[in-house]
Amino acid sequence: MEATIEVRGLRKRYGAAVAVDDLSFTAGPGQVTGFVGPNGAGKSTTMRMIMGLDRPDGGTALVGGKPYRSLRTPLCGLGAMLDASAVHPARRARDHLRWLAHAGGLPARRVDEVIELTGLGGAARRRAGGFSLGMRQRLGIAAALLGDPPVLMFDEPVNGLDPEGITWIRGLLRSLAAEGRAVLVSSHLMSELEGGADRLVVIGRGRLIADTSVGDLLKAASRGRVEVRTTARQDVMTVLARAGATVTATGGDAVTVAGIPSEQIIALLTQAGAAFSGIAEHRASLEEAYMELTGDAVEFRAVTGREAR
Amino acid sequence: MTAPDPTTAPSYRSSVQADARGGFGGLLRAEWTKLRTVPRWPLALLASAALTVLVALLSAAGSESTASGDGPADPGRLQIIDLGHFTYLPLAGDGSIVARVTSQRDGGAWAKAGLMIRESTRRGAPYAALMVTPGHGVRLQTGYESGGAGGGTAALPHWLKLTRSGTAVTGYDSADGRTWRRVGSVRLEGLPRQAPAGMFVAVPDTVEVRRQFGGETVSGRPGATRAMFDHVSVSSSQPGASWRDRGGAGGPAADPGADGRAEAGGTFTLKGMGDIGPNRFADDITRTTLTGVLIGQAAIIALAVLFVTAEYRRGMLRTTFAASPRRGRVLAAKAIVAALAALAAGLAGAFGSVLLAGPVLRSHGMSPPSLADEAVLRAVLGTAALPAVIAVFSLAVAVIVRRSAPAITVVLLVLLVPQIAATGLPLPAARWLERLTPAAGFAIQRTVTRFDQAISPWAGFGVLCGYTAAALAAAAWLIRKRDA
Repeated sequence: MEATIEVRGLRKRYGAAVAVDDLSFTAGPGQVTGFVGPNGAGKSTTMRMIMGLDRPDGGTALVGGKPYRSLRTPLCGLGAMLDASAVHPARRARDHLRWLAHAGGLPARRVDEVIELTGLGGAARRRAGGFSLGMRQRLGIAAALLGDPPVLMFDEPVNGLDPEGITWIRGLLRSLAAEGRAVLVSSHLMSELEGGADRLVVIGRGRLIADTSVGDLLKAASRGRVEVRTTARQDVMTVLARAGATVTATGGDAVTVAGIPSEQIIALLTQAGAAFSGIAEHRASLEEAYMELTGDAVEFRAVTGREAR
Repeated sequence: MTAPDPTTAPSYRSSVQADARGGFGGLLRAEWTKLRTVPRWPLALLASAALTVLVALLSAAGSESTASGDGPADPGRLQIIDLGHFTYLPLAGDGSIVARVTSQRDGGAWAKAGLMIRESTRRGAPYAALMVTPGHGVRLQTGYESGGAGGGTAALPHWLKLTRSGTAVTGYDSADGRTWRRVGSVRLEGLPRQAPAGMFVAVPDTVEVRRQFGGETVSGRPGATRAMFDHVSVSSSQPGASWRDRGGAGGPAADPGADGRAEAGGTFTLKGMGDIGPNRFADDITRTTLTGVLIGQAAIIALAVLFVTAEYRRGMLRTTFAASPRRGRVLAAKAIVAALAALAAGLAGAFGSVLLAGPVLRSHGMSPPSLADEAVLRAVLGTAALPAVIAVFSLAVAVIVRRSAPAITVVLLVLLVPQIAATGLPLPAARWLERLTPAAGFAIQRTVTRFDQAISPWAGFGVLCGYTAAALAAAAWLIRKRDA
């Protein structure tokens, strides 16, 4: 089967609250697709609908061209970690993987293979209740990899992890994608995906806000802004504002200028005798781009209790 | 950073897919792995069996028979009653006895007046008895069982005839003494050549049940009845034999005015107390031994409920349904594994109770019936099956309500409360409670037909299975319909 997730016109409402509203996107092979949005934007609901756990009110979600529930051996089609704490605390990690392998009809050797792959090692004989968050994430990822599926889906995999853990997961996601798999990874913090995702699907209030490559998104967010380093901030701001630019102080010795190209800025500052030590195209961070996109789509947690579950 | 074009990137292929099998066997293994890998759960199974046996041992050790040595056994412990008044002659070989019942007074619908042939006058000996009753017509009874062939109504006076031919005893009745209707026939193996034959009266005890929460006071007062017979003929009796009597039980309670025979001009008046038939107050030793399952089931209920709700609580059910999107099959696998595990615990508990409590009971002067007895074996196997059915019922309720505490409460309520509340309700209301609620299933443990039996063993078990099937159907429907 093709390593793809295709979501077309997906809708879901819980009572009066619309969780997902006409959402369409595709996650393709060889890519890490970041699935971003504020808490309560509908990311987890969408993932549950992709896996056939929640019934959509409209639209379709296909894995490799088929509805998840019609896959003959679903664990070999899509592996998912929806919630790393969804393990019985009294059960040993290896036993958790073992029942899952039985239920999915997978050969028992896969249990040892994924324990090796995720570096669970000796912890596999311990009860999951005593696991740190990091170990639980590894167990969840091991479970997702049991069927060696071409499509992988992780819900907030780096949430709450230490930097070491984040680095490990980023590397793992990259290498999984490099093998030709489609990897969909959700996060409510864009910064967690910085350098980790190839494409971004940004949603807010259940609607698609952007479906783009990371490069395009950054370019759009930078919008020709220029950063000027100066010790005479006041002078620089006055000169440029008078010329019609939008100037924002972004640090002790830096201002961001929008509205006039860098050549004109240099000319203006030189002419006015305002001292500056450097001038550069502004590179927006993913976080900035994201804040700009989702500024009006942020919902309060309390409104979306279901997402928080 | 540029994204690779999705249309040209090579797709990954699962290396496991070729070896993967989707099948029900895998689901059963998965559920069994889940059950045995949470250490508390196998312990709950052990605890269930151990509690059942422990209660059996405690109740056995606390039992004491009033009979000691080789004296007569406590009548309350006997399964049958053989009282009433019997006036007889030895019948020589094949022959018959005829009499007309002209009147019958007192004793209620099941007062008995009629003819009897028996192996001996020893209490508990095999017999065949043909009788008229005020409420249940003409009946032919044997083996100390209630009911019997016949029925309808019989207007007095009424003719009765009992004939013996070898081991066959056949009863006839007639309104006029000329046209006879065959009521039925019984075989009495081992009937001697000279068998006592004659007239008898008997009457069931009147039962008074006073109930309060937590217990009941049952008093059975022996009823009294009298009946008149004429046109008595025996063909043929031993030459020179005279009528003899076997009265009710002696002792201080015996009332000479209520027991005896009077004869005047070929008319016999028989007065008697007590019944010939099953002892409806008999102790059900097997059932008492097996009551531990009431305690043992608590562990099974908790286990079966947690087996489901632990998955709901942690979102693990999503993992389960991700591996096997066909939810009905998951539910079936879960139910089968829980039922088999509970059955194993039930078998250990039931057989452990009977086998271990037996010697204790015997050392206390009681005589527990053997497992070879059909009713006892049914009760023991039924007691083993109860936890299995209860496990499936609990599991289904857990799927419906999805939370541990309410599910456990609901199951315990419907299984235990009817049995406790019944003791505080009027008898008829209590009967219906014990017939219509899942608690009816415990009827499978009865080995004795008693005055307080609400429902027959298999019917009661059927009621519990019916509730279980309904709950399972509702659970299957909900689990498919709801979002996981």
